[in-house]
Amino acid sequence: MSASLQIPGFLRDVTGDASVVTVNGSTVGECLGDFVDRFPDAKARLFDKNGNLLTYIDVFVNGKSAYPEELARPVASGDELSLLFLIAGG
Amino acid sequence: MKGNSGKFLRINLSSGKVATETIPEQVAQDFVGGRGFACYYLYRELTPHIDPLGEQNKMIVATGPLAGTSAQAVSRWLVYTKSPLTGALARSVAGADFGAWMRFAGYDFLIIEGKAEKPVYLLLNSNSCQTKPADELWGKDTWKTQEWLSQRHGDNVRTACIGPAGEKLVKYACIVSHRRTAGRCGTGAVMGSKNLKAIVIDAQRNIQLHDPEAFKQVVKEQIDLMQATKGYHHHSEYGTTDTSDITNGLGIFPVRNFRFGRQNGHEKLSAEEYRKFRTGDFGCYSCSSKCGKAHQVTSGTYAGAWSEGPEYETIWAFRGPTDNTNIEATIAADQLCDDLGLDTISTGNIIGFAYELYEKGILTKQDTDGLELTYGNHAAMIALVKKIALREGIGNLLAEGSKKAAATIGKGAEDYAMQAKGLEFPAYEPRGAKSLGFNYATSNIGGSHSYGYAAQEVFGRAFPRAVDRFAEVENADVVVFNQHQRAMLELGVCCSFNAMFGWVPQVYHKMLLAATGIEQLADANYVWKVAERILNMERAFIVREGFRRKDDTLPQRMLTEPLHTNGAPGEGQMVRNLEAFLDKYYEIRGWTAEGIPSPQKLNELGLGFVTKDMVD
Repeated sequence: MSASLQIPGFLRDVTGDASVVTVNGSTVGECLGDFVDRFPDAKARLFDKNGNLLTYIDVFVNGKSAYPEELARPVASGDELSLLFLIAGG
Repeated sequence: MKGNSGKFLRINLSSGKVATETIPEQVAQDFVGGRGFACYYLYRELTPHIDPLGEQNKMIVATGPLAGTSAQAVSRWLVYTKSPLTGALARSVAGADFGAWMRFAGYDFLIIEGKAEKPVYLLLNSNSCQTKPADELWGKDTWKTQEWLSQRHGDNVRTACIGPAGEKLVKYACIVSHRRTAGRCGTGAVMGSKNLKAIVIDAQRNIQLHDPEAFKQVVKEQIDLMQATKGYHHHSEYGTTDTSDITNGLGIFPVRNFRFGRQNGHEKLSAEEYRKFRTGDFGCYSCSSKCGKAHQVTSGTYAGAWSEGPEYETIWAFRGPTDNTNIEATIAADQLCDDLGLDTISTGNIIGFAYELYEKGILTKQDTDGLELTYGNHAAMIALVKKIALREGIGNLLAEGSKKAAATIGKGAEDYAMQAKGLEFPAYEPRGAKSLGFNYATSNIGGSHSYGYAAQEVFGRAFPRAVDRFAEVENADVVVFNQHQRAMLELGVCCSFNAMFGWVPQVYHKMLLAATGIEQLADANYVWKVAERILNMERAFIVREGFRRKDDTLPQRMLTEPLHTNGAPGEGQMVRNLEAFLDKYYEIRGWTAEGIPSPQKLNELGLGFVTKDMVD
């Protein structure tokens, strides 16, 4: 099952400036796992040492936040995933 | 007009005269409240080209039509005046309870004019405004001042006051309420110049709304939407303490006076490290996110230091400019600034400026009262905070702001003053977040991030669209959008953090409508039109003061020196197309090539009365 992951500016250096990457998986967790397998430098920017999604990252599926299910949120073929920093500013 | 009280208080400190005046219905419709009223009245009231620290300057202290209600995070207050730091507009915004208390007292804003003969404070409630002697308070820090006033007038009062820095007319002195500050542009110095130590409000909760039932429903909608977001819960947990984790990763955390975009060793200074010092959470009136994170130092050099913070800007201000890696020192510096009444952003920035001048040999140990301003020396940083606030030794020079201090020092020091229109840059590197940089350049108050925050660049928000943070001319529309968005939020006056939690587009205009009954607010686009009106009014203010295109600029470093990011993205970036950007920005705004609002644009916005002041 493949979905498209929109790459935000803060990960573009990892993907060689690619703005969209096709990822495989049936949940958000599997899709992001596939992504970091192919782009290992992204792992520390998305997950903590225990493999949990960082508290300041929100994942959107078709424009809707995956919170609170997050990594367990199902993903269908053709879905569009995107990422956002949750920090509110300074 | 409910929601807004429809009246304001004019207080003349020279004559002692106090008068309640009515806000015309048309003005309420056109400007809605908060920042809208403040900018309108400041323009109408102020004589051009006056001395900002002279008797003729006026201060407008305003709250918004949502303050004091059950709505979340909308009780902020702001100060408008002519800035002694920049000579341009001063806009300074703060939290805590003071805005709600202004509403309870029944005023949308205060106009404070003239100058008291001796130090005074104002004690106001819904029936009276008394001027009281402040001889016993003069010289006290902001915390002791508030304690003294609470002991004298009871725990139910809320106070906005200045510290020693405001009394000594430090050009970037702030106004403090509890531990929240109206920080930027030197509003505390204007208050000090009027011999006004504090404004104390004694009031009971008293809110009138146009449609209370509709308001209740809208607030429920707001809370449901807000609490459903991960962002709200994250913000409640961390405040803004982890923004530096993000900005270091992006290479936009300015280090050593804006030469580098990432601090070496930042991984050991993360939000989790700050958390080890945390002692509690604080929030503003009717805001459940409680983003204020208190920290305390219990051992070592800074044992005993305590602050409601530092938040992101202050964490940066006392780490980045001096390349300090001592967390305890950032807590101590934050406490000092709040107590003494200094804007942490300008203070930290200017200290970084002094460190670079010392490195370059432009300042020597003889100039610095024996302090060694070497990177990482946090003891010298702390010493400078005190010297600036009290105008002691080199502090007297630095108290004038980086632009004026550089002009006094000479020897090329101007090249190292990181400011726009005289207002020191905050915690975002313009070459790595260029829409923020262009916002600094075009802002009507100078180098402020909050005048038009580019969340698209920092956090990846794709609203109104995704941006490339290294693009320039292509993002002129986003800079305009961001500046309008902030003005729109400050009608309320709404917190810019909480506003990111998903409720504003659906709820905000309905909230204002239910509070005020201004019919145009039924159209969600109306708040954006008012925001554009505000931006043009504020531009007209600085144009009348003589500001033009040449002032919409950035320091040479941004235009000619490549950014170094210590491995983060953005290495080598510079701002390359400032002039082309300005052409596009002015075109979108409907301004002339000199950056002056055109008669057509002013008429379109109902600001035709301003046209006579717009001389090319």
